[in-house]
Amino acid sequence: MVALTERGLRDFDWQTAVLAILISFFGVWQIHNAVPSENYWSKQIFGIVVAFIAFVVVAFTDYRRLIDAAPIFYAFGLLLLFLVLTPLGVEINGQKAWVRLPLVGQFQPSEFVKIPTVLMLAKYFGARKSAVLTLREALIGGAIFAGPLVLIMLEPDAGQAITYFPILAAMFFLSGIKIRYVVIATVLAAVMVPTAYIVGVKTGKIKRYQQERILAIIDPDKVDPRGYGYHTIQSVITVGKGGISGIKGDPETSQSVLKFLPEPQTDFIFAVTAENTGFIGCVSLLLAYALLLSRMIASARQASDRAGMLVIMSIVCGLAFQIFMNVGMALGFLPVIGVPLPLMSAGLSAILSTFIAIGFVVSVRMRRFVN
Amino acid sequence: MKIYDHIQNLGARVGAIQVIAFVLLALLGARLYYLQIVNGEYYSDRAENQRIRLIPIPAPRGAIFDRKGRILVDSRPIYNVVISNDGLKHASATDKVVDYSSGLKLEPQFVSERLSVLKKQNEFESLVLKENATIEDIAWVEAHSLEFPELRVELQPQRHYPLGTTLAHVLGYVGEISPKQLESDAYKEKGFRPGDIIGKGGLEQYYDEYLRGRPGYKKVIVDSRGRVQSELETVPPQSGQDLVTTIDLDLQMTAEDQLAKSVTKRGVVVAMDPNNGEILAMASAPSFDPNIFVKGASTPEGRKQIAEYWKDETRPLLNRAIQGRYPPGSTWKIPESVGALQEGAITVAHSNILCGGGITVGNKLTRCMGNHGSPPLDTAITRSCDGYYYRLGLKMGIEGIIKMVETFGFDKRSGVDLPNEKVPQTPKTWMKYVVKHEGKWSDIRTVYASIGQDTVVVTPISMLRAVSSVGMRGKEYIPHFLKEFKPIAAVGEEGDPNYIPAREGFTFQHPEPNIIELQPAQWDLVLKGMWGVVNAGGTAGSIRIPGFDIAGKTGTAQVAEVGKDTGKNKDHSWFVSFAPAYKPEMSVIALIENSGFGAANAAPAVKAMYESYLSRRDGQQPAAQEVAAR
Repeated sequence: MVALTERGLRDFDWQTAVLAILISFFGVWQIHNAVPSENYWSKQIFGIVVAFIAFVVVAFTDYRRLIDAAPIFYAFGLLLLFLVLTPLGVEINGQKAWVRLPLVGQFQPSEFVKIPTVLMLAKYFGARKSAVLTLREALIGGAIFAGPLVLIMLEPDAGQAITYFPILAAMFFLSGIKIRYVVIATVLAAVMVPTAYIVGVKTGKIKRYQQERILAIIDPDKVDPRGYGYHTIQSVITVGKGGISGIKGDPETSQSVLKFLPEPQTDFIFAVTAENTGFIGCVSLLLAYALLLSRMIASARQASDRAGMLVIMSIVCGLAFQIFMNVGMALGFLPVIGVPLPLMSAGLSAILSTFIAIGFVVSVRMRRFVN
Repeated sequence: MKIYDHIQNLGARVGAIQVIAFVLLALLGARLYYLQIVNGEYYSDRAENQRIRLIPIPAPRGAIFDRKGRILVDSRPIYNVVISNDGLKHASATDKVVDYSSGLKLEPQFVSERLSVLKKQNEFESLVLKENATIEDIAWVEAHSLEFPELRVELQPQRHYPLGTTLAHVLGYVGEISPKQLESDAYKEKGFRPGDIIGKGGLEQYYDEYLRGRPGYKKVIVDSRGRVQSELETVPPQSGQDLVTTIDLDLQMTAEDQLAKSVTKRGVVVAMDPNNGEILAMASAPSFDPNIFVKGASTPEGRKQIAEYWKDETRPLLNRAIQGRYPPGSTWKIPESVGALQEGAITVAHSNILCGGGITVGNKLTRCMGNHGSPPLDTAITRSCDGYYYRLGLKMGIEGIIKMVETFGFDKRSGVDLPNEKVPQTPKTWMKYVVKHEGKWSDIRTVYASIGQDTVVVTPISMLRAVSSVGMRGKEYIPHFLKEFKPIAAVGEEGDPNYIPAREGFTFQHPEPNIIELQPAQWDLVLKGMWGVVNAGGTAGSIRIPGFDIAGKTGTAQVAEVGKDTGKNKDHSWFVSFAPAYKPEMSVIALIENSGFGAANAAPAVKAMYESYLSRRDGQQPAAQEVAAR
């Protein structure tokens, strides 16, 4: 660990830290707007404080030593995911995604296990030397990835599972997978997704409510506004209502306070942001995210080793994907999947894991001149 | 950087990821622009529409008074359980039927009917589920407010008819607008909505426009489950206008009383001021209780009672005074006499016609009740000589009778301010039909028509109106109940969007009376005959009131085939009159169904009306009784 020396503080990535803190406190404000009568916002502040400490600890720790220990973290992560499936798991809204442990309390392992997964994959792909990804390497990487994924799908938590894919995609892409495979995969996805949907509907594998969630995006006017399209429609109304600079006047009449907008402090925090701060606030937030991602990508470019670069880039891809999924859902063009908005959504597990992930980015950056 | 040497164009790949991330973020920005800048207003409206709710505040209906300011109809506040339809649209309504019906003690059938009406309404509207909620009902709703947030208790005015069956036909009743009415253009134009209370029948219907107030509303903010969060503004309702009628409640009570005491307890008594057409009393028996329609429509017992009213063979819902059509019998002789004089079939100097104890048309003898020799017109009226009128009818010809029908307006409604008045039927109505089926209008039909039988059926109101005009020597007024509508003040400030302007008071707009032309001497002759009916040994000498000369005419209308008197289909008994004979203050008609002779049944009822009138006019006991006692 680099001591908190003068040099350490000088090398510390203040820009990333300040951006992350700013976004997360902007989030606190929106959480308060979402549910002023509850103390989610003060809990979130507590979470940010804890997360920031974890962030600093990780940032000042040598990521290479952590990557060396990746198998231990990875095994521990799998254990946690397994615990969710045991009676220690806690079921909320029909999903067994949480686990309650003595002393630690209740948390969502799938949020945290992304980090050991990233480390494990980075350890493997960072050590390899060939210029082009081989099938054997892809299979081993896929096996590492499959461990947590299968356990998460057993919960079942499709939303969280989806957020794991960008990690693997980043690993493959940056390990020299041939561009033609990328193209083939993209084309296949473009063909397979609608085909799978149609086949799923025909065979009854995709349930009625899931179909309605999809239809609510394709043709919101035709869907029963009080049915499963309700979330999407209300979110779009909430966003649109914000206008240029957000609602003025009585916050008591906001969509979230009147409970028209579901899950306003978590999944639909972006809609709350849109209602309260309007186009100006939303675009500022998206710019802040862009700035944060750019800074992280810049750090990746400067990484002193391949594993460091892979850690950063898979985190970047994970975050970018989650932002896009969450905001796309709030804006009504992606289906409702419970993906939290990084740094914004209320939830200690999410804020903590995000800050730890960014801590790794900073750790890599601080060691860019090593060797 | 050394790590880049190993991997195929790694820098470009990182760059590609960066570009993709930015493109995705830009995509979000574009969508935001579309939702917030392009369509911001639209979504803002949608959000407002779903959180702002207008809760109507029903306006009290105008009260109805008699001519002396006594209450005939008012409204009293009751508690209603109201159901709003948001959240129900999607929910399976059948689940709730059991809950509501057991909780509020309603018929499941009724609850599901209400729910289906509710589902047809616009979103966020509400409907009364249970009227007149008891303390238990209110407690149940409060206790289940979490389970059934769509239910609430509201204080609303309910129409109340303190007189019960008295005057019921004239007053009518109120009720919820029917789905059929809602679909009709006339109601659509006025912006009626399901659940609105409107007048049904009687004055309630005829003057609904004025009696009905303009509802106010509360603008409230609700949450997604329809629970009121705060009130934005309240627009108070404007009450309906109070109606002062021409009814004299004392006379009305007498009229009802007379019908209740009559042999068959079925009939009509109507009293009118012949000087202007103001109706002082109108009773039709049997009657109904309007309160049952107002309060009972939502309870099983009430619905049963209403169904029984409809099924009842004695037809209690029928206002016999304006909807009942009866052969007028000998009362028909009064307008006919006027017609005959007008058309010159007889003159004052030569009005004698043979009675002959009857007439033979073809080989059929139609009898008179007696043999009156060859009487003049006044005697023919006084004695009700059928033989005279058989021949007079033939002399006038059917065309003459039809002309008389037109003169008195028997071919039209009387114009009384009540809905659903029936038009009398006369030879004018039947002429075409008879000629088509029988080839010609036969003399025997003219003979029957001349004594108010066969092709003649009239409403009591049309007969009273015609005979009153004789008392007025040719001035025929439109019978009516409207004396005055009281003004009502404006609600709110002028210029305010919620301003409801004041409504002006008004009285009955008297059109010029229908004038029936006749020489004074000719009127005198007819009046003399009518005076004689009561005062000179005529058919109704038993009802004479000394010092208050009644002019009238009895009638015994044959119900079954002419000339037969069968038990159940006994003759209708008529008496039509005005008094004092030469300066009438009041005209009265009575009809007792299937009771026999006019003099024996209808005339005493009329007498009671005059006595009642006199007792108050002179502020003393009826002069007649005093005179008789002496």
